[in-house]
Amino acid sequence: MLADTADIVEATPVSALGTPVVLEDVTKRYGRRRRAVPALDRVSLSFGAGSFTAVLGVSGSGKSTLLQCAAGLERPSAGTVRLCGTDLAGLSQRRQAVLRRQRVGFVFQDLNLLPELTVEENIALPLRLDHRRAGRADIELAAARVGLGGGQLRRRPAELSGGQQQRAAIARALIARPEVIFADEPTGALDPHTAAGVLRLLRGAADGTTVVIVTHDPQVTRFCDRAVFLHGGRVDRVLADPEPGEVARVLHELGERSGSGDGDRS
Amino acid sequence: MRGWMLAGVRRGPGPLIGTVVASAAAAALTVAALSVAIADTSVPAGRLAGTSVVVAGDTSLHVTVGHGDDARQSLPLPAYRGVPAGLAGQLARVPGVAAAAGESGFPGGVVRPGDVDLVAVTAKPGVSPGVLAGRIRAALSSAGHGGRGYTIATGSARGDVADLTAAVERSEGQVLGAALIPPIVTISLFVLAATTGLAVSLRRRRFALLRTVGATRGQVRRVILAELAVCGVAGGALGWLPGLALGGLGTRALAAHQMLPAGSAAWRSPWLLLAACGVSVIVAVLSGQIAARRAGRTSPAQALLQTVAEGKWPSPVRILLGLGAAGGAGTLMAFTFGQKSAAGQLALAFPLLLTCMVAVALLGPVLVAVAAWLARPARAVGGPSARLALAAISAQPRRTASAVIPVALAVAMVGAVYFADASIAHATAAQAGSTVTADRVISGSGANAGLDAAALRQVRALPGVRAAAGVAPVSVAATDPDLEPVYGEAVSGGPLSRVLDLGVTSGSLSALRPGQIAVSALEAAPGAMGVHTGSRVTVYLPDGTPYRATVSALYARSLAAGDVLIPASAVAGHTGTAPGFAQILVSGGSAGGLAGLAAGHPGWHVATRNVANAAAAQAAQDGFVNNLILGLVATLAAVALVNTLVVATVERRRALRLLGRVGASRGQVAAAFGWHALFVTVTGVVTGAAAGAVTLVAVTKAATGSWAPFIPLAPAAGLVLGVGGLVAGAVMIPFWLMSRREPALAAG
Repeated sequence: MLADTADIVEATPVSALGTPVVLEDVTKRYGRRRRAVPALDRVSLSFGAGSFTAVLGVSGSGKSTLLQCAAGLERPSAGTVRLCGTDLAGLSQRRQAVLRRQRVGFVFQDLNLLPELTVEENIALPLRLDHRRAGRADIELAAARVGLGGGQLRRRPAELSGGQQQRAAIARALIARPEVIFADEPTGALDPHTAAGVLRLLRGAADGTTVVIVTHDPQVTRFCDRAVFLHGGRVDRVLADPEPGEVARVLHELGERSGSGDGDRS
Repeated sequence: MRGWMLAGVRRGPGPLIGTVVASAAAAALTVAALSVAIADTSVPAGRLAGTSVVVAGDTSLHVTVGHGDDARQSLPLPAYRGVPAGLAGQLARVPGVAAAAGESGFPGGVVRPGDVDLVAVTAKPGVSPGVLAGRIRAALSSAGHGGRGYTIATGSARGDVADLTAAVERSEGQVLGAALIPPIVTISLFVLAATTGLAVSLRRRRFALLRTVGATRGQVRRVILAELAVCGVAGGALGWLPGLALGGLGTRALAAHQMLPAGSAAWRSPWLLLAACGVSVIVAVLSGQIAARRAGRTSPAQALLQTVAEGKWPSPVRILLGLGAAGGAGTLMAFTFGQKSAAGQLALAFPLLLTCMVAVALLGPVLVAVAAWLARPARAVGGPSARLALAAISAQPRRTASAVIPVALAVAMVGAVYFADASIAHATAAQAGSTVTADRVISGSGANAGLDAAALRQVRALPGVRAAAGVAPVSVAATDPDLEPVYGEAVSGGPLSRVLDLGVTSGSLSALRPGQIAVSALEAAPGAMGVHTGSRVTVYLPDGTPYRATVSALYARSLAAGDVLIPASAVAGHTGTAPGFAQILVSGGSAGGLAGLAAGHPGWHVATRNVANAAAAQAAQDGFVNNLILGLVATLAAVALVNTLVVATVERRRALRLLGRVGASRGQVAAAFGWHALFVTVTGVVTGAAAGAVTLVAVTKAATGSWAPFIPLAPAAGLVLGVGGLVAGAVMIPFWLMSRREPALAAG
């Protein structure tokens, strides 16, 4: 299936390890000053194969930084990140990019899609970047899994509704059959009804793919099998099979603890 | 992969329009220069149209200069060498020749006894001119004329022999056309680098997204370069036809100024389309290297941010490079002023200007931050709108710098070119107006005014005349150090020091005897002819005859008088014109005596020194070539300025919308944009003036010897107002168009 053998990152059998995303003692400081408050402070976490995890916290808790470090978008100041069995510290920029397009998918809050490409071109982008043939059937299949099809595929992103755009982004994240999908507030810009639909689609389409969602919306956790709470750059607690009501209570408590006036550092 | 890479150009060309426009301008100017450089400059055979073959003495001068492969240099001669009249009879005996006749009286023709300008040969029916020319060549070399070169012309080449000025004019115009191409390309690179840099930085978030989705740095870079290549092709195609039109205009203008033969036609080959596209693709792609590299380095994490602001401050590398360029400019400036020869100083002027511009471009954000700090008092005067504008500038010095830099470059380039020319013209006019110290000047109008040696003798014989000298412009060829035409005067009579104030620096100019030559200090300098008083030099008269002479004087005031003075007797018979003077300069004598003499010569005009000097000063003002170069530079600078500012203004649409939503009135927002435009103009003009002044002073010093450039108020004000107008238009017109579509902006 892979046309360009030169760009294949050494494939590690996922089942053997069982945990495509592992963070060990990860610290991230922004700025040069040693005394700068770390955005992430010695965080150790792992995300098992096929797991669907929400990372929650109030603004500035470090949740976006966690996602960036886990996905290799930022280099941690200290600690180890293993993505798909590979220590990211040992990978060149180029091989990290190749790893991303072959084994990782991304969904963001908005501005997910390149405005000058059509929906189908956006969906096929990871394959094209990887010099792979993007068959019509593959694209249509990926789109169909998120409920997009027909004329929508030939439209430009600006012509779609917010929910449709997020579904296109999910289709793009899924097209290369990644091991991990990172989603940063994927439903932040959507109304609750549309948001639930998009998350249901993600949950259904992921099908064995590890999903990490950063959010501050307790409702997201309805679809998750685990909720990780960050506070002040540290893991505060982890809930298995979270229930939105309880998640909301925890978030409120964390908000009370951090007080008001905390700027958004992430 | 290729298709999607270019989707940005096809479907979202907005930010790239500027790149297309700028590369179209580069392509148009290059095509114009090329079509002049390769213009069809063949001239009609005229009187020789009925002949098959024309034989003349070699119409070019060949001189061996130094050693090496290109040691042998050639220059077209403005006068015929002449061939013996007997050559016609000799050629008549060549098989296939129907008739051969010596002819004289062509423009540039000789008047030496026993010689003719050329021999016109007609072929017998059935003998082709080419075959006949070959036979004539063989006959001439076997007859022992091998040592003396001939020009044997058939077909369209006969025109060049019929009119020797054609070859001289052609080499001037075509050399100029070719010489303009490198500066056009260099300046276009500057222009495009600013435009592409902005176009790329405005789309940073998209490139970050590409990186997140798994594009490597190289892929992002290639996307941008592919886009730029397409813009280059589009620009080349768009610039081609305007370039052809411009080339046609330029060719006609050059022909009108005797810098191309009359009737020259610009080169209009379809190959020019290829050249246009080639040049604009190369320029676009080269100019985008830095921007593409920077975009490739965009951190993929930026795709997660809501708004991607580029860093407030430029990278330390950029600042270091900028300081390096500023230091380089300083060193180059010291080196330029340290140059002994004016030629050396002039050669360094363009690199000096470029280095200053690089420094300004690199340090732009720092300069903007300094200017914003200095502009703080304006907040009190300008109210909330000025406060808003200044806050936006201080928050994003890099973004503002991308608008200020093209303004500064425009002022630096246009100012340096225009005021350098103005300073030289001013100095020339000043010298022309004071070089002649004779009391009266007789000038002749028409070819047969009769200002000749006999007239000079008559003038000298008038009672009370202390000095009288005849002068006539002459061009000689000299090795300075390359074989080039040098313009000066043929002089007769004297003492010269009583009629001309040439600022003699060594030797004496009281009389110039045969075998002597006076050379200007600029031309005598080490980088040029490299001579001093007493040196032996060889210059070549218009018909190619070498004139070996001793340098008898060096003089400083050469802008009006020319670079060499040669005794008229040495030049007589070698200029292709009847011996005679353009002017006779007279000191002493009475007005009545001269008037009486002039009464017998209808072509004479007697004028006082002041009138003659005023006319000379007027004639010195013709700066056609400089105006041409100025036009090119101003065009490119204006394109860059408008381009960048329009893109930068459109990019502020979000700020505009937000201001409308929080209740700003249309007037307040317009004022904020106006303050922004004012800041950009003032900062750009001041910075550009400083950068241009360095080059201006260097050029003025080199060409006129004075440290003070001449900066007339009206053009200076015109430049500032022109730049201000362009900035205002490029900011306020897009603002007006955008604000009409923002209903949130309250009226008022």
